Formats: sequence, structure tokens, C-alpha cells
Amino acid sequence: MSFADIPRSVLGQEYDRHVYPPVSAEEIVAYARSLGIDDPAWTDPEAAKAGPWGGLVAFPTYVVKLRGGKHMPDVVAREMTAGGFDAGKDIDFHAPIRPGDSITASSSIVDLYEKTGRSGSMWFVVYRQELRNQRGELVANVDSRMMQRGRSSGGGSES
Amino acid sequence: MSAPDFETLDVGDEMPPVEVEIGRDLVSGHARFLGMPFPRFTDEEGARAEGLPGQIAPGNMSLAVLARELLAWARGARLARLGTTFRGVVLAGSTALVQATVTGKDEEARTLECDLWMESVDGDRLVIGTATLAWP
Repeated sequence: MSFADIPRSVLGQEYDRHVYPPVSAEEIVAYARSLGIDDPAWTDPEAAKAGPWGGLVAFPTYVVKLRGGKHMPDVVAREMTAGGFDAGKDIDFHAPIRPGDSITASSSIVDLYEKTGRSGSMWFVVYRQELRNQRGELVANVDSRMMQRGRSSGGGSES
Repeated sequence: MSAPDFETLDVGDEMPPVEVEIGRDLVSGHARFLGMPFPRFTDEEGARAEGLPGQIAPGNMSLAVLARELLAWARGARLARLGTTFRGVVLAGSTALVQATVTGKDEEARTLECDLWMESVDGDRLVIGTATLAWP
């Protein structure tokens, strides 16, 4: 089996649903501090009350920590195990994450494609974590592009 | 000088370049916090054993550093969208430059589109991206 044989029926199908325990204020502050952020707007619950959200919220990129319980469906993971790496992310941010929010991550594959460049073929898998809070509000869609060198080479130019 | 806001920013405006230290301890600590305690992110020797030139920052950290500097500049804005492409490794212990340019302005939606990137001291663009900033 090869990348091209991965059934396109996996596209759009939820392959994992993971419910996280409530996010604490300490976790929110720790994330900001782990990035070197010392702005009280992101690290001080009292100071954050005067901010645009009326209270402490997670620094937006905290959502990348919520990767769900399973990286990829087995049928895809089998073809993406040899030296794949993170090629990039596209994130749409919606409702902020506040202390006490319980986030559910629903994971699905949204795209599978191959590119051919000077160094041969590259396989891309785009998977999405749709994050919703306990009220069902959309928090973020996080699309991750995983890339792996293909096992066959072809002609053409990099697109 | 007051912080730039939606009214004062326009297409072509640039965020003053920000020099950022990609500290080794910050990288390993952040990787562990993210639940990614892999040798490439936490240990110089472990990273070399994986064929890398040394300890590197996770892509999830690089994109967060871009967001950190963008929001520190555009105070009062909400980050509505961030798209990034990881083009090269961001080495722990290195210094990088974060820059951004306003490329679009929607008066009705009160949003700005930006190009942003992180480059090495040699001028290599290691992470490139686009972002949407929204104001109330």
C-alpha cells in the first residue's frame, strides 16, 4: 500500500473525539509564561479584568496543545511514519478559552495531496482539530499539515 | 508613542522588527509543557542523533512566538486567524528576527491582514505566515 492508496473516504470522517478536563487559570498562566510572556493581560487574572475579555483568557495559540487523543487514523499513520514533520498550521480562532472551560477536540482528515519538486515527491496530510467548549461554542479550527518525503519520485515542478 | 490601533494602521505599515532569543531552556520547557518532550526539542545530543544540527524549537512554539510579538505590537487587537509554514529549523540557542507588514484593511469588518515571518540572523526566512487581526 502507498500514500495514493489511502482511501479518500477518510476525508471528513471524525477519527477521534477527546474531552479535556476543565482548563485552570494556573494552566493558562503557565502556558503564557512558558512562552516568555510576562504581560499581565495574559498572566494576571486581576489585571485581565480590565482587558477586552473582562477576565483571564488563554493566549490564543494555547489551542495547539489540544491535539486530541489520536494523532491520525491508522490507515493514514501507517503511510506517514518515516520521518514526517510538521510543515505548518492554519488556525481560525473564535471563542476564547477561559478558566473552567472544558474543551472537546474532534479530529478529522481534511486533505491528502502529493507535490512533486526537485527533490522528488512529498506527501501531505492535513488534519483538523475542531475545538468546542462545554457550551458548544466553536473555539478554534486547527489545521495541521504533516509532510513526508514520498517513496517514489516523479517529474514536474514544485507547485 | 501610543500603541498602533485600527485607526492608525494602514496597508504598508510595518511592525518594527523584534529580535527574539530562542533560549534553550525556554524551548525545552515549552516543549514539555506542550506534551512534546522529544529529544529534538529538549536535548542537543538527542537532536543530533535524529540527524538535526542541534536542539530545535517545535513549530508550535515558533507560531506562538510570531503571535506573541504581533499581539504585543497591535495591543487591543484579537488574533482571528494565523497561518504558518515552517520552512526551516529554528535552532534553540539562536537569535531570530520577527517582522510583520500590513497587507490589507477591511474598514467594515475592522480587520487587518498581515504578512509575518521569522528569519535567522543570516536572513533565512524560517517561518512565514499570514494573520488576521480584529478590533472591536
